[in-house]
Amino acid sequence: MNAKYPMILLGAAAFALFGARVMLADDQPLDAETKARIDKYEQGPATIDVSKYPQTIQDDYELFSQKCSQCHKLSRPINSDYAAPDEWSRYVKRMMHKPGSGIDASDGKKIYEFLVYDSSVRKKAMLDGKLAKMSTDDKAAAEAKIKEVHDKYDNQ
Amino acid sequence: MSDEVNCCQNPDAEPTASHAPVPVWIIVLTLVLLFLGAVYFDHHSGWFDKQVYAPYVTAEELAFYQPKSGAAAVAAHGKAVYETVCGLCHGSDGLGKPNQAPPLAGSEWVAKDAASLARVPLAGLNGSIQVEGHEWNLAMAPMGAGLSDADLAAVLSYIRTSWGNNSGAVSADEMKAARAAVSGNAPSVEELAKMTPVERGHAVFQKYGCFQCHGQNARGGVSNLNAKTAEQVPSLIYVADGYTKAELIAFISRGERNIPRKNPAGPEPPHFMPKWGPVISTNELSDLADFLFSLKPKGENLGF
Repeated sequence: MNAKYPMILLGAAAFALFGARVMLADDQPLDAETKARIDKYEQGPATIDVSKYPQTIQDDYELFSQKCSQCHKLSRPINSDYAAPDEWSRYVKRMMHKPGSGIDASDGKKIYEFLVYDSSVRKKAMLDGKLAKMSTDDKAAAEAKIKEVHDKYDNQ
Repeated sequence: MSDEVNCCQNPDAEPTASHAPVPVWIIVLTLVLLFLGAVYFDHHSGWFDKQVYAPYVTAEELAFYQPKSGAAAVAAHGKAVYETVCGLCHGSDGLGKPNQAPPLAGSEWVAKDAASLARVPLAGLNGSIQVEGHEWNLAMAPMGAGLSDADLAAVLSYIRTSWGNNSGAVSADEMKAARAAVSGNAPSVEELAKMTPVERGHAVFQKYGCFQCHGQNARGGVSNLNAKTAEQVPSLIYVADGYTKAELIAFISRGERNIPRKNPAGPEPPHFMPKWGPVISTNELSDLADFLFSLKPKGENLGF
C-alpha cells in the first residue's frame, strides 16, 4: 500500500498543532512584539553590497559596520523597516547618546548619511511608500534631506 | 561452502535495501494518540491562557472562583498588585534577589509600623541598609507612589502576612496619612493647574524618584555595575534627539528589564528600567515627556 498521503497529513497536522502552540504561547520577555520584530530583522543578510556606491559612502559603510556592531547585529539596521531621513536621524542619535557608544557627532553624521543614501537606493520601494504617506511639507523636507546627501556624495 | 551457493540468487551480489511502507497500525496509533493529545489539551490548556492551570478550563471559570469580597479578596488583590509592581525584584517568594532587592520574608523592615513601611514604596529608598544582618546598598524607585491608597494598603498587607511574616494588615487610611507625610513638598492640585506642562513634568520626575537613578534634572545617573552604557544609568538630556513623544512614553511605560552587559561573562547589572506604565498616569507621562524634551542643551546642533 502507499502510505505517503497519511504521513503527509499527519506531518501537516503535527506541524499545524506546533505552529498553533508557538503562536498562542505567551512569551516571557516584557515586550514580545518588539523582540519578534528585531528577530525578524536579524535573520536577514548581515552585509550590504556597496561596490556600486561612491567611494566615500563605502568608507562610511565601514564606519557604520564597525560602530553599530558594537552593541547589536548589523543585520538589525540593514533589514529594519526604517528608511526615511528623520527615522535614521532619530535612531542614530538615540544610539550615539548612549554612554560609552564611542560615536561622536562627526561619526554619527557619517553613519546617518550612509543610512539615508543606502535607503534611497536599496530600500527605494519602502522609502517611496513612506514618502507617499507623509504630508506635503514633511515629504518636501524628507526629499530635500535625501537630495542633500546625494548631492554631497554623488558629485565627488 | 559449495552447497550454500544454491541457496540465494547470487552470493556475490551487493546487498540492497528494499522499500517497505510504514505499517498502517502505526499511522492509526499515531493519529489516535494525536487525537487523545488534542482532547487532553482541550480539557487542560485553558486555550493556552497563561493565567489558567489545571483543574480550571477557562479564564472565566478561574475568575468565578476568585474571592469577591472580604479579607480573602483584599489578599488576592494585594498579591496581584505585588506580582505586577514588586515581584519582579523582590521575587514571588519574597526572598529578594542578590544585588537587586533585599528579601521581604522575615525582614525587620516589613515588621516596622505601617507609616515607616509605607515610606519605602512611597518615597523610594537609597543607600546602605541592614536587612536580616546583611548590608544592602542599592536604590529603589518609589514604585508605590502611583498606587491608590487602597492598592498600597492591599499590597503591604499581603507582604506583612505572607511568607511567614506576621505583622498584621495595614489600612488605606494609614496609607493616606503616610502619603501626606512623604509628599509634604509636592505641589497641590491648585498649584499643578497653574503650571506649564514642563513644570508639571518636572514634578512628575521628582514624584516618582526618576532622579534616584538618572540624577538631578536627568543629567546623568548612578553607577550601574557592568552595564554596557559605560557602567552608569544613562543621562536623559538628549532624549529629544532620539525619540518622538509617543516613542518616549511607550519606552517609559514598558521599561527595559534586560540591560546589556559590558562584560558578557560578568554579573547582571543591578539597575534596570522598571515598567512604569502601571504606575504613572497617562497625563503625567505626557507632562514627563515634555519635561525631558525641554532638557536638551540649547544651541547644540549635530547637523543632521
